[in-house]
Amino acid sequence: MSEVELSEVVKRYGVMEVVHGISLTIEPGEFVVLVGPSGCGKSTTLRMVAGLEDISSGTVMIGGREVSQVAPKDRDVAMVFQNYALYPHLDVAENIAFGLRVRHEKRKVIKQAVAEAAEILGLTEYLKRKPADLSGGQRQRVAMGRAIVRRPRVFLFDEPLSNLDAKLRTHMRAEIKRLHQRMQSTSIYVTHDQVEAMTLADRIVIMNGGRIEQVGSPMEVFLEPANTFVASFIGSPPMNLLDATIEIGDAGPLARIKGADTAPLPIPDAFRDQAAAGQRVKLGIRPELMRVDADPSTPGLACQIELVEPLGAEALLHGEVGRQPIIAKVETLSGVRDFAAVRWLGVDLSGLHVFDAGSGRSLKTASA
Amino acid sequence: MSNFNLYSRGDRIFGWINAALIALVVVSTLYPFIYIFSASISSGAAVTAGRVTLLPVDVTLAAYERVLSDKMFWTAYANTFFYTIAGTITSLLIMIPGAYALSRRRLRGRMIFNLAIAFTLWFNAGMIPFFLNFRDLGLLDSRTGIVVGFAVTAFNVILLRNFFEAVPKSFEEAAKMDGANELQLLWKVFIPLSRPAIVTVALFCVVMRWNGYFWAMVLLRGEDKIPLQVYLKKIIVDLSASDEFAGSLLTSQFSFETVSAAIMVASIIPVLLIYPYAQRYFTKGILLGGVKE
Repeated sequence: MSEVELSEVVKRYGVMEVVHGISLTIEPGEFVVLVGPSGCGKSTTLRMVAGLEDISSGTVMIGGREVSQVAPKDRDVAMVFQNYALYPHLDVAENIAFGLRVRHEKRKVIKQAVAEAAEILGLTEYLKRKPADLSGGQRQRVAMGRAIVRRPRVFLFDEPLSNLDAKLRTHMRAEIKRLHQRMQSTSIYVTHDQVEAMTLADRIVIMNGGRIEQVGSPMEVFLEPANTFVASFIGSPPMNLLDATIEIGDAGPLARIKGADTAPLPIPDAFRDQAAAGQRVKLGIRPELMRVDADPSTPGLACQIELVEPLGAEALLHGEVGRQPIIAKVETLSGVRDFAAVRWLGVDLSGLHVFDAGSGRSLKTASA
Repeated sequence: MSNFNLYSRGDRIFGWINAALIALVVVSTLYPFIYIFSASISSGAAVTAGRVTLLPVDVTLAAYERVLSDKMFWTAYANTFFYTIAGTITSLLIMIPGAYALSRRRLRGRMIFNLAIAFTLWFNAGMIPFFLNFRDLGLLDSRTGIVVGFAVTAFNVILLRNFFEAVPKSFEEAAKMDGANELQLLWKVFIPLSRPAIVTVALFCVVMRWNGYFWAMVLLRGEDKIPLQVYLKKIIVDLSASDEFAGSLLTSQFSFETVSAAIMVASIIPVLLIYPYAQRYFTKGILLGGVKE
């Protein structure tokens, strides 16, 4: 039995439909991350699971029970909010205990549960402090404590790390992961940060415009994007998508990049069945799969590098291939060189992706 | 080290004008207090002769002795305390849940209720219908009438409603997820978070009740029920020409003016004591730290 199941869930505000019939199944103990750009419907979907938003049509099941019309408090879910939502007039212990107090749990039970939660989250020495006296990370831990103390069936996280600085975000990300590994609780996590999505998720749900674009493990969505949206959303920097046309050569289909003074590149086997001569496609190349030390006789792209962004161990090279923008991510530790003078980017052909230019769908996906 | 002036000439002139205006407001506000206090401890003859303008003349506590020895004064004082405390509590008990309900977006007919409340800010039925209403409800000459009949004021309801509406929605959502029902939500979340607004409204109620005069005069008959302000009016109007005061003028110990001033001073003291305590709640800093804005 799945823990959470959404079936054809639609959300409308008046005549405007913002979530267009999404279906999703989440297994017990799974950590699922909903990721997508602002306005894609991920938070709305989470809030529909929480019961904070009514659903316009479809059903939401939690633990095998339909909860579409059930009040949030009776769904056996707990939520961690982006802005913490800690009660400022209560201290840390009272904040954590709030959910148990309003449910009239026994004082002894509450005390023990709060102590356990505080221990797990490293909050024991802060129990008597008010939220205003805590740092951002501590506040977010209190918010998590408030959720875990109830031992709910499902945890919901609504962009819980968005208000933290980069260093603290990294730290808290690891804490959430540790917490999940320890508690093995079913979790749905919303973020627009793909790094959070990749590092935390068992499965990632990529949303766009109120629809699910792809569901898969982090490596699946990274290595086998279903369409150009996923390809350009997952990965930092995103996958290069170059306009190209399919030509049929002696050894099979080739992709000729528009405007490039480069020999057409052979496309991987997995995409060949769907590729037709003359078909306009987007050729996807991950920035990490390009090399600056490649010989021009090997498969690659003739390029002009316009800008170099050193990142320490790596550098981003911004340039053009046949007037189309391209980004390459290259290592710097193997030897410092004048990246601006690079004219040839070697390409690992096994990592190429081919998408239909019209629909944006992967030719590989279409064949599956 | 550079030596430039942070303020332009225009800024300085503006500052001086501001200071002058504030000084004018302070003096015009403080003067009546000082005058009343001086009059209350001056001799009746000096006040009647117009010799007291700022500082006391021929200092005496005769007016206070006269006031404090009057049983009627203590009855009126006790009545005022009762109307203030019971009235304020009643007001808050009715207005807080009312304002909370009006602040909820899902309240059916919310707009109509809000319009109806706001309407009474500018228009009311008038004195005679109001009086007849009290009479027909059997609330004439009744302490209950004074306490309950004036429990709700549109301004205070709107003030509370606006504050409840401004409480970040995530507090409400978090409490709902935690399992709080509406009553728990109001009691454990909204009221503590809205303490500055509630204290402000309570202070408005206290001041209104403490200074309550007109309707107490119109609706109350028995002297055992009248508040301090009505008692003061009786002193000023009813007793000004009485033999007692006529006689006292001869001795120059106190006059009805000094007695009135002494009552006024006595009536101001509790409000002066409460105000500094309540004032610290006028900031809404309590929300700080709960949510990340």
